[in-house]
Amino acid sequence: MIIKVCVGSSCHLKGSYDVVETFKSLLKKYNVEDKIELQASFCLGNCLQGVSVAVEDFGDAQVQESEQVKRTDQGLLLSYMNGQNTEKVFVDTILPLLK
Amino acid sequence: MELCLETGYTSLNHIGEELCGDHVESSVNGQYTTLVLADGLGSGVKASILSTLTSKILCTMVSNEIDINECVATIIKTLPVCKERGVAYSTFSVIHVNRQGHGYLFEFDNPEAIYYHHGKAMDFEREELDVCGNAVFKSELNLEDGDIVMVMSDGTVHAGIGMILNFGWPRQKIMEYLDHHLDDQMSARAAACVLASACNEIYEGQPSDDTTVAAVRIRQRLDVNVMVGPPVNKEQDQEHVERFLEGSGLKVVCGGTSSNIVARYLHKRLKPSLEYPDHAIPPIAYIDGIDLVTEGVITLRRLLELSDKYVSISDLTPKYYVKEDGASLLAEILFERSTHVHFFVGQNVNTAHTGLEIDTTMKLKLVERLAANLRLMGKEVTLLYD
Repeated sequence: MIIKVCVGSSCHLKGSYDVVETFKSLLKKYNVEDKIELQASFCLGNCLQGVSVAVEDFGDAQVQESEQVKRTDQGLLLSYMNGQNTEKVFVDTILPLLK
Repeated sequence: MELCLETGYTSLNHIGEELCGDHVESSVNGQYTTLVLADGLGSGVKASILSTLTSKILCTMVSNEIDINECVATIIKTLPVCKERGVAYSTFSVIHVNRQGHGYLFEFDNPEAIYYHHGKAMDFEREELDVCGNAVFKSELNLEDGDIVMVMSDGTVHAGIGMILNFGWPRQKIMEYLDHHLDDQMSARAAACVLASACNEIYEGQPSDDTTVAAVRIRQRLDVNVMVGPPVNKEQDQEHVERFLEGSGLKVVCGGTSSNIVARYLHKRLKPSLEYPDHAIPPIAYIDGIDLVTEGVITLRRLLELSDKYVSISDLTPKYYVKEDGASLLAEILFERSTHVHFFVGQNVNTAHTGLEIDTTMKLKLVERLAANLRLMGKEVTLLYD
């Protein structure tokens, strides 16, 4: 699985750095560094709903869509991410995709 | 390979003085660059007037190839005489050199110029001339790629007198210091700042004399092409990128959308980094074939701040950049390495940025101010808008 955090101008101002650092520590905490690759991305085209995060390459698992979690052709697009809510989204939405 | 000349200087003011009694004047006239450093008698307003007059007169006359005898005679007749001391006096060093490295150096009563050649500080061969009853020293210049000529006011060799160095900082010691602290890649501006900063340290931040170091360096031309933002019409994307890529020299892309366009055009992957060498600056990215890829407006804003410090003649922070964030990497390329900078500016409005502190008007203003600062640094700058 690949997690891409948008680090474009708009998302940067909204806190990409915190989201990146939180993901780095979560991969360690949940011991999934060998299963999930963390990447950065320049502008995911979702600036108004940043910080944006794309989740790709996880098979065809079912996902509950919401305002924050949207299905796309490539996988998932997560909106409104920040340093505080990243762990909740990670545990509720991302980790289940690994099973 | 085409050679270019660059100049730069740093001044420390006598403690408590708003004006510097030293003055540096430089001009470019065709193939020739002329730089004059003058040190006026005393300090403060009087010294400043004397040195300003001397350097302006000399610079104008020498750059127009007028004989040194006539130049000096003009200065003697023009300078106002000091009431207290009954003399009109300002020392000077004049460098007049063309892009092939040929020219000469004239010195009157300033510390001897230093020749930085092949990584070593050395003396020039000087010939003494009698000009209107004054001993003026002449040296022939035959500079090679990377050579630096450094001239200075006596505040350098007097640094530390009566404080930490009883007899000041002897020229020989200054040369040893330069051997250790300069390198071939440093710009004239950076080199002058290295020596002036060291003097400031020796003065413990309280210079008891005006201190100025100026440098002229000969170096190879380096063009840098910078693409900032996508064009207004999407249909122009391809043409815009083609024009950006066709020039010689380094290629730099600033901005997320622009990097996506360039990567698509080159059929290469855009690989953003996850490293944050500086939390405030978004990470850089990589595209095969492009020398540097950065985020846009936040990085440019920091770059402009760095350029303001770089052009300030009294700023003593080092003029080379070792940090690895996008703005510092850009600064190193544009301020220290480039001689010619070409901006390819796209004026498309990023709707996601409207109302934020990063909108398109802001970006265009940043580019304009940056271009102005680059010109102050002596770079030739072109701006192309789409």
